[in-house]
Amino acid sequence: MRLKARSVQNTGIPTASMADIAFLLIIFFMVTISFEVDKTQVALPRTEIRLEIPKQSAYVSITGNGLIRVSAGDEISVSVPGPEEVLSFAAGVVQNDPSKAFVLKADREVPYRYVDSVIDALKQAKAQVVYLLSDQETIDNQEG
Amino acid sequence: MRLKRSNVSDEIPTASMADIAFLLIIYFMVTTTFAATRGLDFSLPQEEDTPPMIEKEEAVLIEIQAGGALIVDQKPMRLEEILDYLKPKLERNPRKPVIIRPQQNAAYGDMVDVFDELRQASDKKGFEVKNISIPTQREIDMFWF
Repeated sequence: MRLKARSVQNTGIPTASMADIAFLLIIFFMVTISFEVDKTQVALPRTEIRLEIPKQSAYVSITGNGLIRVSAGDEISVSVPGPEEVLSFAAGVVQNDPSKAFVLKADREVPYRYVDSVIDALKQAKAQVVYLLSDQETIDNQEG
Repeated sequence: MRLKRSNVSDEIPTASMADIAFLLIIYFMVTTTFAATRGLDFSLPQEEDTPPMIEKEEAVLIEIQAGGALIVDQKPMRLEEILDYLKPKLERNPRKPVIIRPQQNAAYGDMVDVFDELRQASDKKGFEVKNISIPTQREIDMFWF
C-alpha cells in the first residue's frame, strides 16, 4: 500500500492583506484628523448643554490672567496685545467669511471684563455666532 | 562558453509597502486629536443704527456679582431657583427678555453657569427662555437707562 504524500503546511503568518488594512486605517485617520489650532491651556467652564462646534471655526482664547490668543481656524493661534486687536482680527475674518463661527475659549476663573471686551469686539466686527467652549458637566463636578 | 541568464523580476517590489503604511498610521495617530470641541452657542445680535430699546421693567435682570452671588430682579437667588422664578413670567410672555449682567470682576464661569441653566429650561421645567441677552459694558453705557 502506498502512503499518501505528506501534505506540506505553511507555518508563516499570511501578511498579504496587511497593507490593505494599513491603508484603510490611514484613510480613516486622514478623514477624521483635525489639527488643533489653539493649544492654550485653560480650565474651561463646565456645562450640561454642549453643541458640536463647526470645524474651521475662528478661535479667541483668554487665559486665567487675561492673555488673549486668536486664530482664524486654519493656522496656529497667535497672541495679541488687547481687545482692539481682536476687533481688527475678527473684522478681517468676517470680511472673508461673514458666516464664520467664533469659538470663545476662556478660563472659567478669568474676570468677566476680559470676556466682555472680547464679546464686544466680536459684536462690533458683526460676528454672527459665538460658541462658548466648555467641558462636560459630570455628577462629580456638580457635587464638588 | 556558457552565458549566465540574469534573473530580473518583472514585479513591483511591495514588501516595504506595509512598513510605509504603518509609519503613516503612527504619524496620524500621534498628530490626531479627538478634541472635545463642544460648547454653548450664543447668537450675537447684529448691530443696527437704532437698536431696539428694552425697558428695564419689561425684562428679567440677572446680575452676577463677584464671588458668584446672583441677584435676580434685585432679589438674591440661588442658581437652581432661577427657572422656578422665570416660569410664570415667561408663560405669560414667552418673548420676555432675560438679561444676564455679570459684574466686571465676576468670574466668567459664573456667567456660563447661568447661561447654561437658562438654556436647560425646556429640559428641566418644560418652558423655553427664547430671549437671552448678555449686553456688553459698552452697550450698557450707551443704551442703558
